[in-house]
Formats: sequence, structure tokens, C-alpha cells
Amino acid sequence: MGFGSRGVTKLDYAKMLAGCLTYLVHRQRDRVGLVAFDSDIVAHVPPSAKHMDVVLHTLDRLTPSAPGRLREPLHKMAEHFGRRGLLVLISDLYEEPDAVLEAVGPLRFRGSDIIVFHLLDPAELDFTFDSPSSFEDLETGEQIPVVPAALAEQYRGLVRAHIDGLTERFSGSRIDYTLVNTSAPLDHALFSYLTSRERLTRVR
Amino acid sequence: MSFLTPLFLLGLAGVAVPVIIHLIQRERKNVVQFPSLMFLQRIPYQSVRRRRIRNWPLLLLRLAALALIVAAFARPFLRKQTLAAAASGGAREVVVLVDRSYSMAYGDRWTRATAAGRNAIGALGQADRASIVFFASGAEVALRSASDHGRLEAALVTARPGSGATRYGPALKLAGSIASESSFPRREVILISDFQRSGWQGAEGVRLPDGVVLTAVPVGDAETANASVTPVSMQRSSFSEQDRVTITGGAVNHGARAISNLEIVLELDGRPVQTEHLNLEPNGSASVSFTAFSPAAQGTRGTVRIAPDALPLDNAFHFVVAAKQPVKVVIADRPGSARDSSLYLSRALSLGEDPAFDVAVKSIEGLTQDDLQRAAVVILNDAPVAAAAAERLGAFVARGGGLLVAAGERAAWPAAGASPAVADVLPGAPGPLVDRTQGPAARLGALEYGNTIFEPFRAARSGDFSSARFYSYRSVVPAKGAQIVARFDDGAPALLERRVGNGRVLMWTSSLDLAWNDLPLRSVYLPFVHRMATTLAAYRDKPSWLTVGEVLEPARPAAVPGATRAASPRVVLTPSGERVALDGEGPDVLELAEQGFYEVRGQGRDAAPAVTVASNLDLSESDLSPMDPQDVIAGATGRAGGAVEPGANVTATDQEQERNQRLWWYLLFAGIIILAAETFFGNRLSRTGTVRV
Repeated sequence: MGFGSRGVTKLDYAKMLAGCLTYLVHRQRDRVGLVAFDSDIVAHVPPSAKHMDVVLHTLDRLTPSAPGRLREPLHKMAEHFGRRGLLVLISDLYEEPDAVLEAVGPLRFRGSDIIVFHLLDPAELDFTFDSPSSFEDLETGEQIPVVPAALAEQYRGLVRAHIDGLTERFSGSRIDYTLVNTSAPLDHALFSYLTSRERLTRVR
Repeated sequence: MSFLTPLFLLGLAGVAVPVIIHLIQRERKNVVQFPSLMFLQRIPYQSVRRRRIRNWPLLLLRLAALALIVAAFARPFLRKQTLAAAASGGAREVVVLVDRSYSMAYGDRWTRATAAGRNAIGALGQADRASIVFFASGAEVALRSASDHGRLEAALVTARPGSGATRYGPALKLAGSIASESSFPRREVILISDFQRSGWQGAEGVRLPDGVVLTAVPVGDAETANASVTPVSMQRSSFSEQDRVTITGGAVNHGARAISNLEIVLELDGRPVQTEHLNLEPNGSASVSFTAFSPAAQGTRGTVRIAPDALPLDNAFHFVVAAKQPVKVVIADRPGSARDSSLYLSRALSLGEDPAFDVAVKSIEGLTQDDLQRAAVVILNDAPVAAAAAERLGAFVARGGGLLVAAGERAAWPAAGASPAVADVLPGAPGPLVDRTQGPAARLGALEYGNTIFEPFRAARSGDFSSARFYSYRSVVPAKGAQIVARFDDGAPALLERRVGNGRVLMWTSSLDLAWNDLPLRSVYLPFVHRMATTLAAYRDKPSWLTVGEVLEPARPAAVPGATRAASPRVVLTPSGERVALDGEGPDVLELAEQGFYEVRGQGRDAAPAVTVASNLDLSESDLSPMDPQDVIAGATGRAGGAVEPGANVTATDQEQERNQRLWWYLLFAGIIILAAETFFGNRLSRTGTVRV
């Protein structure tokens, strides 16, 4: 989540998005909490109507850390959070769609509404690299030499397929899924979420 | 294997450079941090972690092709000894060069030379052939490629030393050409000479063909004693209107011992007239002046002679001296002109010395046929010419006379209705007057320095024509065949020339006095007038002697008036009494081959008087200093250290061996074929193989 091709990393964007949602929920006098995780939970603010500043401060202190995984932290959340509520998952979802669904599933089964914001940088979506380079995984440090011109098209196809897979699985599980391009303004992402949220609410 | 241009082999190192760079080059570390390699790792591609050479055969093919091409440029050849034909087999082509310069008449050199020649002929095998070549300054084949010993010896013994000087270059060139044309396996040149230093300059540019053996047979002497005459000098003077000549003659002692009381005699027309004595130091010289004498009008034959010694040919020096004959010039003034109207012209001509001018000034109306018969040059000084006079002048020019027309205000020439003999004489028709009194005066702008008139003024500071100012001149339209020799600054012709028959005509478009210009006041006026008169008279300074080897070109005599035939043939009488005809059908020249007096005689009733020409030896040959024959051998064969023995192994030069083998061609062809194959296989592999990343 520490990657950003245009000055704003995905983590920054996620923090801003989470902050905005916290503010909105707090304005509605609902309780809001925060769980930050990588391969484990790294920060936890229990839901409360009075913890907005704590949530915002916690968000502010978040930095990229260990490689992330969805299953263990989400399952732990499912064990500890028994009350029904609204769960907003903000992640770049670099796992197989089935693995993502399997990680999110237990939370859904407890009756919570789940909203998934899939954050991706424009470089991850468009793969606009041109010179042969060695690509290094930010989480694992693994490097592989890549000639972008030779595989850009295939890469973009794989990303689209991944997004399509996630969309299909989340919609089948009645989980709100929104792909967010971090180059788009934050209000645009929130507005499109709120609009779809309102439409779904009427349908239900 | 040897190489003619081994430096090209450095190119082989360059072939390995790209391979080395390819193998040691590390991947560029351009690292891009990416969130996840999840999708990239799914794409099936081959990592180009390290470039390894995978197709060694193709690379080796490429390197082999480049190496062959580089080797071709290095011009390889197989060095080997080429054996000459064995001594017991193989016929010989022998060229015997015999020095026949006049130094070979010293002592018994010629006897020894002919003996050496007979020895060479006697050593010829049954299958051998020999050529006899005599040489001095030039070379002459007496007998070519003959195997008959009798004929060869006959060609040798009938020869005698000549009058020429020694030059080895032409003889060796001729011998080389005979040898190169021979198909015999063994070729040899035998040079029999006294090996005078003066005959070899070292840079002859002669090289005998490879494989030709040059053997030197010196017949000179370790010590020589020879005295020779020196060329005479003449001083002319005048006494009681008679031309007097003083002859100074001398001698040179080429030996190491002093010569005292050497007798030196002046002979005139074959008779001794005065005897003096000289004392010569070793390698020294001395001279003496004889009493002056008056030469005959037709020429006096003279000889300065010293006492005979071991080389008598260089003990006499011949010359011909004639009384000075002035060039007769007639100046024709216009009728009624002032007495001094031709003052500047006549005074300038009267100051001539070499040649002198005999000037007569007459009125154009008083110009007679006798005047034209005697004169060499006629000057029309601003004179109008009537038709009859123009006819006579036209004929005068046609038979060899010179005519100078000063086109002043009153000058005129019949034109309308005139006969061709009159109309086609002048170089142009005088036109209207050009007035340059208003504004700056005209100057002479362009002079033809290639013309004999202006040629002496070509050098800097040899005469400034541009300082003369011209206030008037006649405009002239040049006639067909006329040449413009000088122009004014506005481009108008100033001096024109035209050849008419055997003579020539000059037209000066201004005056030759102060009427229209100030040229007579300039220092160039006198030499300018002399050059015009000398050119018109076709005057040539006759040399008092020529040198053996030079060419005699007797001047063709002028056609006799009224003669309808061409000039009669001539005969040259040589010093030895031989008669050589110059009948006009072949070249009218004769190469001087003897020392003495040549006489050129005309034949027939209308023949011109006989002309005598003196011929002398090239006195550089009198210096008998010898040189090392090895210098000639080394220069002619390119091999230092002496002649190669006949029958020995002869190695062709590296260049010749490489040229004969032409290995470079095969290497280049093989390299190109391999490159083509590499290209073909490389393209096939790139089409069937995986994409390399």
C-alpha cells in the first residue's frame, strides 16, 4: 500500500478515504472504529461515538509495514467483533478473488454489511512503464527483470480479469465493491460510493 | 605464412571486442518498485538475467568470416625460394653492353673492352643467345639475340670509340627490355666499361627485371693522366669600322701530376696562326688570350688545340665566328615630313649592338625595289602607301621581309579594289582617330608576354610600359589571322601582328614619335623598338658551336623572288666526310655524332651559301675519375653487395610472391561466402526460436 506513482500513495489515499468516512459516520452520531492490518492487526480503535479523533490520529500514524494478508486479520476481526454493523474494507486486494472472499466471508455471515474499496494506482492499472527494468516487490523485496513493452498488454488483461473476478464474487455475495483509482479525486470516489449505496438501500 | 601488410592483423583484435563486452556486461540495475509481482509472475516470459551466448556455431561462423576478411587485407603469402634454372640446364639470354664513349679511347681501354666482349661471346653455350649493345650517351643495338659467335664477334670488332659521353641509364634500360622480352630461363647482362663517375648520377630510375644477373667488367685504370681543352670565350671589339674578335682558350689537367710548358695553338681556317704555352698544376687549369683577328663575313673556322696525350679526342675545341652583319632597316617617312620626323626611331635603332641595325631613312615615294631587296625590315612611319608601293611591300613581306606600320594620322593603305597581295597584308584596317586628350590619357593595359617582342619584359623591373601616356591612337578592326599583342587600357588594340608568307607585319596604332604619346621619352622605348625590329628580321643569334648529341636544324632559306618551286634540297657534310641529305621529305634535322665542322650546303642554281657549324665533345667525359662498379650493380638490380653469381638461387621479392599467389582473393571470397551462410542460418534460427527478452 506504500506505492504511489503520482505523489499520493495508496496508503495515503486510504487514510484520507477512511478519514472522510469516519467523519461522515461521526456526523450521523454512529459509532466508528478502525482496524489497521498487514499480516496481523497493527492498530485497533474500538467503535465509539466519541473516538473520531482517536481514529483520525491512529490513521495519521499508519505507515507501510509488513506484507499484507487478508485472511488472518479479518478472521480475527470476525471473532472479536460480534455486533452487526457496517464494515468498510480498504485494500489493494493483491490476493486471489476466492481468497479475498474467503477472508471477508466470516464477517458477512455475522450479518454485517461489507463495503470493499479496491484501491489501485494508475500505474498498476495501465502499466505505463517503457524501459526494461528490474521490478521489485515492495512487500517481499523479490525482483524480476521485466521488459514492459513485451508484456504490458498481458499484464493489463490480468488486472482486468482480477477486477472482474472480484466484482463477480462480491456482487454474488452482496458485498459492495468499488474500484478506486487513486488518481481520481477523493470526493469523486465517495460520491460514487454514496450514490450506489443509496440505490442499493432503496432496492432492499 | 607471411604478410605483406601485417598491421591489418590488428583488426583481428577488434573482432573479439564485441564478444568480450557482451560476456562481461552486467544487467543494468534500473529497479522499479512495484506493489506486487502477483500479475507479472503469471506472465510466461524468459528472464534475461544474464546474456549468455547460446548459439556458439553461429558466433563462430561470424568470427571466422571477419577473421578471413581481415587476413585478406593483410595480404598473406607463402614465402619460398624460387630457384633459377640449374647451371647445367637452361639456355641463357645474354646482353653485352659495351661502353663506346670517347673516354674508352684512353690508352688500351678499347682493346681490353673488345677482349672482354670476345670472352663473353666465347663463354656462350650452344643454346645461349647474345645481344651486342654499344652505348655512350645513348644505346644502340648492333646485333640482337644471335647465337652465331662469328656474327657476334664481327659486330664487336668493327666498332670504335665514338665522340659521346657516358650515360649508363639508357644502356641498362635497353638491356632490361631485351631481357624482359626473352623467354629464356636465365638472363644475364654483362657491362663492359671504364665506369666513369660522370656517367652515373645514382637516380637513373633504372631497374633490371628480377632474376637478371648483372656482371660488371671494368676496363678502367687506377691512375690516369689527361689534359683537355676548355670551351673558348670570345670578346668582340671594333677597330676602323672592322669587327675584331679576341679568342681566349685554356686547358684542364685531370691528372695528379703537373704539366709544364703545354703547347696551345689557335688555328683559323685550318692554319695555325698563334702558339702559346701553359703550365698546369695537378687538377688545375690555365688559359691564354690570343691576338685579335677579323673574322670573314661568311664565318671563320677556328680551333684551339693542345698537344696530344693518351686521350687525344678532347685536345681540340672548334668554333665558328663570323663578322657581325647588321640588320638593314629602311624607315619610310611620309612625303613632305620634317627631316627629324623619324629622329627617335632612327636614333634608337642606331644604338643597337647585338644585332646592330643599319638604318636608312627615305620618303615612301623614294622607296625602290633595290631598297626592299637589301632591307630586312621596312618601317612605314605614319606614311600613306600607294597601290604600287603596297604591291611591292606585300611581295617583300611574302618572301620573308618584316614590315612595321606606325598608324599615325596620315597613315593609309589601299583597300578598296586591292589585290589579295595588298589587301591581306596588314593585321587590321586603320580606323578613325581615338582622342584621349580629354580626361586621363590612355595607357598600355595588357601585353602579350608570350610573344617574342614582349618576352624580355616579362620579369619584374625589366621595363614599365604602363608609365607611357597616349593621347591619340587609331581604332583598328583586327583582320582574320591577326594577333593582338598589346592593348590600351580600354581594350583597344595597340600592337597587332600577322604572318604573311615567309614574313610578318606589325601594326602600331599610335605614333613612334612624340606626336601622339610620350613613349619615346620612356626607357622602354629603345628595347621595344629593337625587339620589334629583331622579330621582324627573324634574327637568331647563331651559336659559335654545338655539342655532340645536340640536334642540328639548319634554317630553311627564304624563297628566291620569282622562284616557282619550293626551296632546293640540302646536304650536310659531316667531319668524317659523310654526306647526309636533307631533301625535305623527312625531318630536316641531324643529330651531331662527331667532333669537328659540319657544313650545310644547298644544291642547285639557287642554293643559299653554305653554313658551317662547329661540333665539340661533351668535356665532362674528360674527367676519367672512376666509380665503384658495385654502385651501378646495386642501383640497377636492387641488390647490394655485388652481382649474383649465375645459376644461384634467386628469390623473388615479397611483393612479387604475394602478387603471384593472390591468396588475399581466396580469403576474401571465403569470408564473403561464410558471411552469407551466417546471415542465412541466423535468419532461419530467429524465425523458429523463442523470443529473447
